[in-house]
Amino acid sequence: MSIKGTVISQVEEVRRNSGKPLRPLTNDLVLLESGLDSLGLAVLVTRLEDILGYDPFTDSDITVPPVTLGDFIHLYEVAGKSHYVDNGHTE
Amino acid sequence: MRNVIVTGGSRGLGLEVARKLAAEGYRAVAVARNMNDELASVIEQAERSRPGSLCFVPFDLACVETIPELVRNLCKQFGTIYGLVNNAALGLDGALGTMPNSDIERLIRLNTLSPIVLTKYVVRRMMSDGGGRIVNIASITAFTGYSGLSVYAATKSSMIGFTRSLAREVGRLGINANAVAPGFMNTVMTRGMDEEQREKIARRSALRRFPALEEVADAVEFLLGDKSKSVTGTVLTVDAGTTA
Repeated sequence: MSIKGTVISQVEEVRRNSGKPLRPLTNDLVLLESGLDSLGLAVLVTRLEDILGYDPFTDSDITVPPVTLGDFIHLYEVAGKSHYVDNGHTE
Repeated sequence: MRNVIVTGGSRGLGLEVARKLAAEGYRAVAVARNMNDELASVIEQAERSRPGSLCFVPFDLACVETIPELVRNLCKQFGTIYGLVNNAALGLDGALGTMPNSDIERLIRLNTLSPIVLTKYVVRRMMSDGGGRIVNIASITAFTGYSGLSVYAATKSSMIGFTRSLAREVGRLGINANAVAPGFMNTVMTRGMDEEQREKIARRSALRRFPALEEVADAVEFLLGDKSKSVTGTVLTVDAGTTA
């Protein structure tokens, strides 16, 4: 599965337990309006680290946190490239 | 076996907590810079009664930058983390006016920054796993002033504020966060005191003695156990009544 696909499937899984009305996942959806609160985001980042093997929030110097789902996916895609290069893999 | 990480688990209170947890059915993972004879002997005893119940992981907790990697490795090696006891601390004393800035920085790094960062990475795992326990070792110096301990006291007070707000933050995910505030004990941290100072402190306590290490370890074990499921955001003081 692509990085984008992995992120979206995990967002779906984590927000399913939020009990809040869920809006469709689009690139411009604001993360905190997606059904994920700050704790949900922490769970999401941990699960993605388990699956993808990296955590962009720890491994890189992020000065501007992602606002939309598109920003969040982009962050993982960019971090994924350097992670795979650093570990000698090709995606 | 429930895995509990005990920082500073190679000596003093940390070693006593690790020993007790191993005896009570947990797997205690003692994280400390170095192995020593005392820890080796406690591990040997634990191995005889229940293999794998006490493990040692060498790590310098002042290396805050590599804490994420430590937690990743601990999870790989032991699986789900049930509990974290933030015990490792530096006990430097000295008048603030003459204390080197480097000592102030070392105290804050090891006693405040390191446990907060470690908790960040462990608690994320606990959130994902659906629960856990955090016990932060504070000190009665957070409540009562002692000349020469202002920086140490500041770091211990910070752990109490951290504990209370963390308990609010993670409670709904089934994670309890509490602190234990021991009084002065017979550990390497108080070995620098002379007999007169020790007696003076002991005389001030309601029970006229220092609390024993085992008694403080009992409090930690209580906060990790099933009998304290409804206890969170509190500070359990074990000081033989020094602050009564």
